[in-house]
Amino acid sequence: MSKKRLVGPSAWVFGAAGAIIGVVAALLVSQGNPGNMGLCIACFLRDTTGFFGGAKANMGAVAYIRPEIIGLVMGATATALATKEFRPRGGSGMAYRFVLGFIFMMSALIFLGCTVRAWLRLGGGDLNALWGVLGIIAGVAVGSVFLKRGFNLGRAGSIAKPLGWIAPAIFIVLLALAAVAAFGSTPEGFTVTAAKAVNDLGKPLPGGLRAPFVLSLVAGLSLGVVAQRSRFCSIGGIRDAILVKRFDLLFGVLGLLLGAFVANLVFGQFNLGFAGQPVAHTDALGNFAAMAVAGLAAVMLGGCPFRQVIMSGEGDADAFVAVVGMIVGALAAHWFGIASSAKGLSTLGWPALGVMAVVLVAIALIKRDRAA
Amino acid sequence: MELDVRGLSCPIPLMRTKKALEKNPGTITVLADSGTAKANVVNLLKDTGYDVAVDDTAEGYRINATWG
Repeated sequence: MSKKRLVGPSAWVFGAAGAIIGVVAALLVSQGNPGNMGLCIACFLRDTTGFFGGAKANMGAVAYIRPEIIGLVMGATATALATKEFRPRGGSGMAYRFVLGFIFMMSALIFLGCTVRAWLRLGGGDLNALWGVLGIIAGVAVGSVFLKRGFNLGRAGSIAKPLGWIAPAIFIVLLALAAVAAFGSTPEGFTVTAAKAVNDLGKPLPGGLRAPFVLSLVAGLSLGVVAQRSRFCSIGGIRDAILVKRFDLLFGVLGLLLGAFVANLVFGQFNLGFAGQPVAHTDALGNFAAMAVAGLAAVMLGGCPFRQVIMSGEGDADAFVAVVGMIVGALAAHWFGIASSAKGLSTLGWPALGVMAVVLVAIALIKRDRAA
Repeated sequence: MELDVRGLSCPIPLMRTKKALEKNPGTITVLADSGTAKANVVNLLKDTGYDVAVDDTAEGYRINATWG
């Protein structure tokens, strides 16, 4: 067993992929995206949801189809087709995956960012994200225990080809809508936060903060290729380190953190501290608990929301069901006022986290594969 | 020894392969059907010290490893 090693050459691939994502994210912030939100799967899916009837669902401030997310899916689809990895598949605990996606999104909107943005916030100097990252580690550790005890949503199998194309097709339609909204006029019945829009207090609305359309799309496409090829995951590294003592994937988030940190310094947007951080609140316990719930949900899904988006592009209907759960979760989080604000958790924040934690544990106990 | 990890979510293919390797098999074949599972299993086998060859079949990837 002399050849045995704990860190293989793929650590470099993950590290480089993470660094590229971190640098591109910082670039997008420098070009107009909200602070430390160069890339946030939860925020971007939420903003995209806001485009549809956002005015009615308290999402008027965040209504904008983020081209980055479209690019991610299309980049992943193109790469998967080119490498013959596009395989329509599904059928593994789909109803559970919807619920897990829903819970992931709700808790991400209580933290204010997904498991990717937690690292990006830290790389921008937002120390509140430290509690979030600790929460991710705690949630992933709990999920690892469930996995060790046989948690398994079941096997996916081949599905009819058109079903694998649902997600890519939907994102092509979204691209058309986004392009019309960006270069034409706002389509009737939809909500679009005007670029550089401000509220009554003169503060910019997050949905109005955006990098140029084409840049966002190209950045998304590039990262879709990078993520599909590298299989970067924002929670898998911690999970594999705990569960199978493999550390390669951990270099992904370390690269992400380092890339974002260096690029933020270069762009002059690194701002160390707790108070006054962009799209963030300072409730330490709330940040920790929200990301613990999100981290657990992500482990139970088999990968972070970024992975779910990329796999949707590869024809994975299970991953797309999780993404749909996230979209519905975003709608619910805003409609019922569960999402946090810069002031902190909403009154429903803690009760929601408690209920979601109970549901996660229940699912983990129900879906046990005793043969494992 | 043959192991079928097709259709399983991350990191279950990796966990099952690792468990199978505890018995130090001379040869092991793992069936995987996603690019991610294939890459993870291949990396684990190589890092453990196996020589690995992958057949791309209609049902997925057939990963053949020999201790070497």
